[in-house]
Amino acid sequence: MSKHTPFLERLPAYVLGCLEEDEAQEVSDHLAVCPACRAEWLAYQAVVGDLALAVPQTEPPAALKGRLMAHLSARPSPTTAATPSLPWWERLRRLLQGAAPLWAPVSLLLIVSLALLNLLLWQRLSRLERMALAPEMRIVALVGTEAAPEAHGIVVITGDGEYGSLIVEKLPPLSPEKQYQLWLIRDGQRTSGGVFSVTPEGYGVLEISSPRPLLEYSAFGITIEPAGGSPGPTGAKVLGGSL
Amino acid sequence: MALIAHAQADALGALYDRYGRLVFSLALQIVGDHAAAEEITQDVFLRVWEKARTYRSEQGSVSTWLTSIARHRAIDVLRRQRSRPEHQGIDWALVSPEALPSINGPEVATEATLRRQQVQAALAQLPEEQRQVLALAYFRGYTHRQIAEALDQPLGTVKTRIRLAMQKLRQMLQEE
Repeated sequence: MSKHTPFLERLPAYVLGCLEEDEAQEVSDHLAVCPACRAEWLAYQAVVGDLALAVPQTEPPAALKGRLMAHLSARPSPTTAATPSLPWWERLRRLLQGAAPLWAPVSLLLIVSLALLNLLLWQRLSRLERMALAPEMRIVALVGTEAAPEAHGIVVITGDGEYGSLIVEKLPPLSPEKQYQLWLIRDGQRTSGGVFSVTPEGYGVLEISSPRPLLEYSAFGITIEPAGGSPGPTGAKVLGGSL
Repeated sequence: MALIAHAQADALGALYDRYGRLVFSLALQIVGDHAAAEEITQDVFLRVWEKARTYRSEQGSVSTWLTSIARHRAIDVLRRQRSRPEHQGIDWALVSPEALPSINGPEVATEATLRRQQVQAALAQLPEEQRQVLALAYFRGYTHRQIAEALDQPLGTVKTRIRLAMQKLRQMLQEE
């Protein structure tokens, strides 16, 4: 029996979501390190996708589309609400790039000010976490693994779970072809929350992208992935924490 | 999806025109209530509007992504209702394999209609007991253990039936 067999046999139930949590976690952990089983997983995912096609078809009320579009116009545009994928320091560098050398001293001052501001914010968040003075926010501490024992971080989630930010410190800077990727874990399944890089000092921030409210996830993990991210975790885990 | 990610409302409208019925029908089949199904459908497309940039085509088709969101949302609604829904009568619409139009025949079937009929025919070929456990997993979000309790069957039997059903479906649908 191949070492993959126990996982391959559980994949059909895994994609349907009918494994118990500990079993799902085992499969998920294996998928993170086994491209062959991941290919099988995608094939079964497609089967589950196909199952929706066979449901008896019912036309939705004609007014539903109108209500949807009205809701849409009342919401902020996702592009204005979203944070560009570039890290803040890169966006700042590009913003200032065209204005050098006149802006050089100003930009240096700005960067130092931002660094100080970030440090203050970090200390304030840590204090809030300790004193539990922000009941409307959830803060999840992330602890470094053996791959990055000095690293730590936090995930801050709004009370409704719709938005969240990641702040990390002392993560080793990576080569340009690698980036860190945040994974949102639910029922053993991992969904990407975004990719990010860190400063030479190991500091990084990320506005988390999530297909579901963040409070529906049970844990968060960060792995090293090829630049731009991977469909599922493939590299070493460096940070992790549970909600 | 790229247009939606760039806040093109018309693109979301077009996506709704194409997949709105599918999402609504799936939600309705799971929750069994028109008002709740409408709310879930609206919620799914609003979520797509906000999260389109997180869609990754290498992880599956748009249809699979949308129905996955819809299924999870609908099952969450079902769980919040805390009622124990009747598990008799939940099933897919089935057609016999013989009813499938020939690709070279005179029937005019869109690609989507043909795929739907292929899936319905594949499901119709599963033994009744396999389709029953599959339906409880798919429409109710039950675990192996919950299915075994609901049907009063051994856990091992349920696990085997789920696995065999999915393996057979995969084989039949990949052959198409």
